[in-house]
Amino acid sequence: MPIRYDADLARFEAACTVEDALPLAEWLEATAAPRVDLSACTDLHTALLQLLLAARPTVTAGPEDAFLARWVGPALGVPPSPGGKPA
Amino acid sequence: MSELFDQFVVEAQELLETAGGALLALERDPADRASVDELFRAFHTLKGASGLFDMAPFTRLVHVGEDTLSLLRDGRRGMTPELADRLFRALDQCARWVAALEDTGALPADAAQASETLVRGLSGVSAEGAAGGGEAAGETDAFPWVAALAGEDREAVGVAGGVLTAIDYRPDPDCFFTGDDPLALFRRVPDLRWLRIEPAEPLPPLAQLDPYRCLLRFRALSGAGVEAVAPAFRSVPDQVRIGSVTLMPAAAPPAAPPSAKPITMAPPGSLAAAMLEEQARILDLPGSAAERQSRNAAVTRAVTAILTALGRSADRAVVAAACVDSRTLRRFLADGPPEKDPAEKPAAAEARPASPRRALRVEPERMDALMALVGELSVVKGQLEPLVRRVGDGELTRDMKAFSARLDSLVGDLRHAALRLRLLPLARVFDPLPRLVRDTARRLDKTVELVLDGAETEADKDILDVLGEPLLHLVRNAIDHGIEAPERRAASGKPPGGTLRVHAFQDKGGVVVEVSDDGAGIDPAAMRKAAVAKGLLAPDAAAALGDDEAVRLVFAPGFSTAGSVSDLSGRGVGMDAVRAAVERAGGRVEIASTPGSGTRVRLALPLTLSITRVVVVEAAGSFYGIPVAVVGGVQRVPRAEIRGVKRAESVVLRDRVVPLVRLRRLLGQPPDDGHGHGHGDGHRDGRSGGADCVVLAELGDGPVAVAVDDVGERADVVLRPMSGVLRGLRGYAGTAVLGDGRLILVLDLRELL
Repeated sequence: MPIRYDADLARFEAACTVEDALPLAEWLEATAAPRVDLSACTDLHTALLQLLLAARPTVTAGPEDAFLARWVGPALGVPPSPGGKPA
Repeated sequence: MSELFDQFVVEAQELLETAGGALLALERDPADRASVDELFRAFHTLKGASGLFDMAPFTRLVHVGEDTLSLLRDGRRGMTPELADRLFRALDQCARWVAALEDTGALPADAAQASETLVRGLSGVSAEGAAGGGEAAGETDAFPWVAALAGEDREAVGVAGGVLTAIDYRPDPDCFFTGDDPLALFRRVPDLRWLRIEPAEPLPPLAQLDPYRCLLRFRALSGAGVEAVAPAFRSVPDQVRIGSVTLMPAAAPPAAPPSAKPITMAPPGSLAAAMLEEQARILDLPGSAAERQSRNAAVTRAVTAILTALGRSADRAVVAAACVDSRTLRRFLADGPPEKDPAEKPAAAEARPASPRRALRVEPERMDALMALVGELSVVKGQLEPLVRRVGDGELTRDMKAFSARLDSLVGDLRHAALRLRLLPLARVFDPLPRLVRDTARRLDKTVELVLDGAETEADKDILDVLGEPLLHLVRNAIDHGIEAPERRAASGKPPGGTLRVHAFQDKGGVVVEVSDDGAGIDPAAMRKAAVAKGLLAPDAAAALGDDEAVRLVFAPGFSTAGSVSDLSGRGVGMDAVRAAVERAGGRVEIASTPGSGTRVRLALPLTLSITRVVVVEAAGSFYGIPVAVVGGVQRVPRAEIRGVKRAESVVLRDRVVPLVRLRRLLGQPPDDGHGHGHGDGHRDGRSGGADCVVLAELGDGPVAVAVDDVGERADVVLRPMSGVLRGLRGYAGTAVLGDGRLILVLDLRELL
């Protein structure tokens, strides 16, 4: 499973596909203050991105994948430095 | 630099010239449709040709020019002097770029900016006419959000590019079900500069959000061209809009159009103002002192002429004093010290005079006229010799003979030089092959190595034009039908990749191109069967064909060998067309194939279409030419060996019974009784010993022996078709003048027999 849920932290790893959408939606809904770690995510399906945009969880670590870091990170409130992690 | 690139440079120069001429004509007569079309074609061709190379600003500029012209063509926009100015400016810019391309192989660094300025000028004009819009450019109107970009976004995009491709992608809400991942598509967008992902409608609370419904919308800007961006969205054409936009800088335009500079002597924005501005630019060009001096003189003349045309007093001395450098000239023209435009300097420095190495293009008619003159000269020169003989002996005669000999060799050299003018290397027709092979092989999942050989071989431009298409076809055909798929090759113990060899060389005054592959070859048995199946041959006729003849069936009209008709070449008309094209040009096609190991097609063409090599023969005291292309041999045949059956004669030559015809009879001349009495020059040596001089002609339907009185030299002649009342005369290919000035009739034996 590319997304590992750990209490209130979801770790996105490798290619996260549309199959993760439903579990992620349920987890986001059920978690009071969800946090996500995108650092190991190499591919983020649009459906997952849409959920993150809707739920606006705290992003503890932005994606390191260059494309995601540059174009998706900022949309989720991560500064647009490639592979940048919030201080 | 590749041949293709060089060709582009030469062609672009020519197209820009054409466009300039058409634009001038169009400005004179805005209703001149031919000129609009010509102008449009020039821009269109430039767009296409420049697109082959990495020169986006160039392509962009001519693209917008083309758009503007299409409005003009459709009558949605009228020609105005302002529009003409802007088009001229675009042409000038292109010409400067082409010069830079020729010099350095690349566009100058500020090309994008210059392009953007001009594009804005052109689009502004077309928008005024078409939509009444103000500063909108390109399709910016269609992407209003581009204009609304905030400052920091603009910075991120980088305004230097100016012209961008906008993408507005609103995925189908159900797209997840069809396996789409809209975000992933943007990974394939080249030079992505900016991407905004937003909900297309306010997202509902998480609890009511359907995770499988896409509610996002994507807007993006790319620095690449529309053509480069579009493929990424090929699967979702109905959900995306892609268009070219110009991103207006947040601040003032980076460089004002040249006409904005205060040349008060001419109406701002007028052609005259642009021309005066151009003169100032010319003064800024680098060069030696001598070059500058002559340039200054030219500029002085031009400025004086322009000012006179504008009805301004133009004292030559005053103008000359002003034309020492661009600054002084501008001040003079502006009638006061103009502010130096900071953007002006680099632009002027980048401008270059047209390179002196530019290829000379000559109209074919002029070339023909030159050839005709050379022919006349030969004739006149030929008359000198008898004159010299009449002078008799003495010192004067000796001098005249020496003079005549020198003239002889000069005229010979001149002929040779004139013939060579039309020769070009075959590289021109080889150039498209590597790309063709790559694309074709890729489409068919084959691996093919192309070996090109002899690209430096020269042939007449007309011949190259004839050769181009057939060669492309043969190459496509060889990859399509000849070279097998890798598995099949491996199964028959061949290396998985095929080899295609295109080899050109000169041979017997002609040029030969061989296309050979190491593919499956052609099976003669299959050919016979196919010929019968297609109704081309009766079964017994097919069975009687030799293997070589059976293989030659590929050239028969309506023949296709492959089991399946592919989209590439197998339509059964190709090889036939190849043969027809080559034979029209006086050439021959041969094919040799070994089943299992490959096929070789050989195209033999004359070196030039304008020069024909003939064997000079004599009949009844007159001289005739027979094209060498049909001559298989010349020999003396003892009279005793000629068998006559009634009036038909035949002779055995090279173990073949060949019908024999007498040229005298063909030409309606009195027959030579063959006993050598009293026919003048006709049988000086040819008839001695009771033998006939025979030319073996290889015609389409078999060999024919042509008996002539005598056979002379072989000569390269310029064949001039019969004209006037003689045009209807059958049996003659035309007239020609021999090197010594004698006029001969060149026979067309196919028609004569």
